[in-house]
Amino acid sequence: MMDNQQLRRADFITSIILLLFSLWILGQALQMPMKDTYGGVTNVWYVSPALLPIFISVGLFALGVVLLVYSIKTGGAAYFFERVKVRGQGFPESFVRFGSILLAFLSLVYLDIPRIDFFLSILLFMLFFVSAFYYDDDHILHSLSIFYLAGQGIILVLFVTGIAAALQSVFKYSMDVVALLFFLVMLFYLRKMTRESADYQKKWRITLIVTIVTPAVIAPVFRYLLLVPLPKEGGIIELLNLIYYTIR
Amino acid sequence: MMFVLERLGTFFGNLGSLAIDPVSLIILFSATFMGIMFGALPGLTSTLGVALLTTLTYGMGPEMAMIALLGVYVGGTYGGSYASILINIPGTAAAAATALDGYPLAVKGEAGKALGLTTTASAIGTFVGMIFVVSISPLIARLALQFTSFEFFLLAFFGILISGTLTSPDIVYKGWIAGFIGLFLAVVGRDALQFYPRFTFGLPQLEGGVEVVPVLIGAFGIPQIIQVLKDRFQPVEAKTFQRILPEFGTIVRNMKHILRSALIGVGIGSVPGIGEDIAGWVSYGAAKNSSKHPERFGTGAYEAVISTETANNACIGGAMIPLLSLGVPGSPPAAMLLGALLLHGIAPGPMLRIDHPNFILQVTAILLLASFAMWILGMVLAKQVVKVLRIPPMLFMPIIAVLMIIGSYALNAKIFNLYLMIPVGIVAYFLTEMKYPIAPLVIGVILGPMADENLRRALMVSQGSFAPVFTRPVALILFLVIAFTVLSQIPIVRKFFAAIKDMIFHGNADSGS
Repeated sequence: MMDNQQLRRADFITSIILLLFSLWILGQALQMPMKDTYGGVTNVWYVSPALLPIFISVGLFALGVVLLVYSIKTGGAAYFFERVKVRGQGFPESFVRFGSILLAFLSLVYLDIPRIDFFLSILLFMLFFVSAFYYDDDHILHSLSIFYLAGQGIILVLFVTGIAAALQSVFKYSMDVVALLFFLVMLFYLRKMTRESADYQKKWRITLIVTIVTPAVIAPVFRYLLLVPLPKEGGIIELLNLIYYTIR
Repeated sequence: MMFVLERLGTFFGNLGSLAIDPVSLIILFSATFMGIMFGALPGLTSTLGVALLTTLTYGMGPEMAMIALLGVYVGGTYGGSYASILINIPGTAAAAATALDGYPLAVKGEAGKALGLTTTASAIGTFVGMIFVVSISPLIARLALQFTSFEFFLLAFFGILISGTLTSPDIVYKGWIAGFIGLFLAVVGRDALQFYPRFTFGLPQLEGGVEVVPVLIGAFGIPQIIQVLKDRFQPVEAKTFQRILPEFGTIVRNMKHILRSALIGVGIGSVPGIGEDIAGWVSYGAAKNSSKHPERFGTGAYEAVISTETANNACIGGAMIPLLSLGVPGSPPAAMLLGALLLHGIAPGPMLRIDHPNFILQVTAILLLASFAMWILGMVLAKQVVKVLRIPPMLFMPIIAVLMIIGSYALNAKIFNLYLMIPVGIVAYFLTEMKYPIAPLVIGVILGPMADENLRRALMVSQGSFAPVFTRPVALILFLVIAFTVLSQIPIVRKFFAAIKDMIFHGNADSGS
C-alpha cells in the first residue's frame, strides 16, 4: 500500500486521468443517436443509448474535479511536481517484482495461449512464475526474468516475422518443439543457478513437481471432464487425446 | 396457515432430498472443505473461491451448482478464522477482527478452544442468516413486484452508491468513482433497447458486452496475486493445539452476543455490496461497547471471537436476501453468485418466485446443510486444514493464476475473455493500491444493465418526465436516501447539518438549564 504522500500524488494523477476519461466518454456519447433515426427507430433524448453514458461522464467529471481539488488541498499536486524534478533514482525492487508478474501474465495470455499448445504454455508460465518468487532470491528473480523475457521475445519474433508459420508448414508441431526446448533450457538454467545450496536444490525439485503436475491435472480435467476445447491444442494435447480415446 | 405449512413441507422435502443424495453430499462437503482451505490461506478469499468454482459448475444443473458455490462461500467465510487465530494474519478480510482476540487466545495455549468457538459460532451465524433468507426474501420479492422501472433504476444506483460509500478505505468519492467505472464497463456493447454499439471500438467480441465472470475473476484475483507476490508474503509458524471442542457451554453463556451479532451480520449483509469484513468489525465494536469488561478485548476475550465469527457468517444469509428478492448482490461473493446464477439461466429478482417457485427454499436448505457440513469439517479436519498454512503462497498463487485463466476462458471458450481479464485485473490492482474499493466496481458492472434499461424504459413510459420519482412512495424514498447519501459527503452541507444539530442541541441544553 502507498503512504499518504504517495496516495495524494496518485490522487492528483488519477483526477487528471478521470477528467480526460470522462470527456472522452462524453465525446463518444454525443456521437450516439439522440434525435436521429437508427435502425428504423426515431429517437428522443430519453430513450437514446447515450443517456447512461452521458450520466456516467457527468458523474465521473464531477468526481474527477472533487478529487483534483482534494489532491491539491492535501498537497498531492505539490508532491507530484516535486517528484517530476527528481529523476534518475532507478527502479525499486518492488517495481522489478511487479514487472516480472506482468511479464508472466502478459506473455501467457497475449503470446503463448493463442499460439502454443495449452499444456506447454502453462508449463512455461508455471516454471517461470513459481521459480521467480519461490526462491525469494533477487538474483534468481532478475536473471530468470531477463532469460524469460528473451525467450518470449524470440517466440514473438518467430511469429511476427512469419518464421513460425514457415516452420509449421514443414512440421505441424515445430513451435511446440521450440516451446519445449525453451522450457528445458530454462529448467537447466535454473538448475545451474541453484546448484550450490541444498535448500535451493529441494526447492528446484518442488518447483519441477508443481510445474508439471499443474497442467497435467488441469488440462485433462477441463478437456475430458468438463469438455472444454482448450485454446490451442498442439502436440501434447493431441497426444493426450490419443491416449484418452484409445483407453476409453 | 396452510401456505406456511406447505412452504415448510417443501423446505423439509428439499432438505431431505439433498441429505439423502450421496452426490449432493459429496459435492457439498468437498466444496465446503475447498472453501475452508481458501479462507484459511492468507491471500485467497471466499470471493475468489466462488469465482474459481463457478468455472467448474458450467456442466452442472443450477441446484448442484448452488450446492457447490454456497458450500465454498460458507466454508470460505469461516475458514478465515484459522489464520487469524493461529498465525495472527487474517485468512480473509472477514476474519480480520477475529485476529484481535483469537491470536491472544492461541498464545495462551487456547487455540483449540478458540477454533471450537469460531466453528460453532459460524455455524449458528449461518443458520440465523438462513432463517432470515426464508422469512424475509419472499416478502421483499412480493413488494418488489410492485416496482416500476424508476424504482429499479434508483435501486441499482442506490446499490452502487451505498456500496461505494461504505467500502471505501480512503475518501468516499473513491468508492463512487469505482462504481462509475463499473457502470461504464457495463454499457460497453450493443445496448439492449436499440442494439446500438457503444464503446466497442469496432471489435465484434465487444458487441455482446463485457462478460461479467472474467471481469470479476480479474478484478478480485489478479490484485490478490500481485500483492502477495510483490510484497514477499511469507508463511508464519502456526500455533499448535491439541483438539477442538464445540464449546457449547461458552456458547450458551454468550447467547446474547450471538443473537446481537447475527442480527448485525444479517443487517449489514442485506445492504448492497457490503461484505462480511464490515459485519465482523461492527459486531466486534458492538460487543466491546456492550461488554461489562471492555478492557479484556484485545487480550483474548471469548465474546469477541464469538461475535465476529457469528456476524460474518450471518452476513451470508443477509447478502442472499437482496440477491434473491431484488437481483442486487449483498456482498462481493454474492455478486459472483449472481454471475453464476445468470450463467445457469436463473435470473434472481422479483420474478424468481414465479419462474422458480422453490428456488429460495432450495437455497435455504443448502445453507442449512452447508452450515452443518462446515461444523463437522471444522471439528474433524481442523488439524489437516492447519497444515495448508505451511504452504508458501509463492507455490499456490501461480496455480490460482492458471485456474483463473482457464476458468475465464472456459466460460464460452473465448480467448477474448482473457484479453479482457488481464487489463481489468491490472487496473483493479492499481485502484486497490490507491485505496479504491473493488466491490462498487463489480456491483456497477453487475447492476449497470439494470440501471440502463430501467432508466430509459421509465422515461419512455413517462414521456421523458421525472415526475413519477416524486409521486411513487418507494421511488421517492430511494431518491431521498440517494440525495442524502450524496449531500452528506459535501463539506458545506455537512457543516450546515452540523450547525442545525448544534443549534438543536444547544436549544435543548438551554431549555434544560
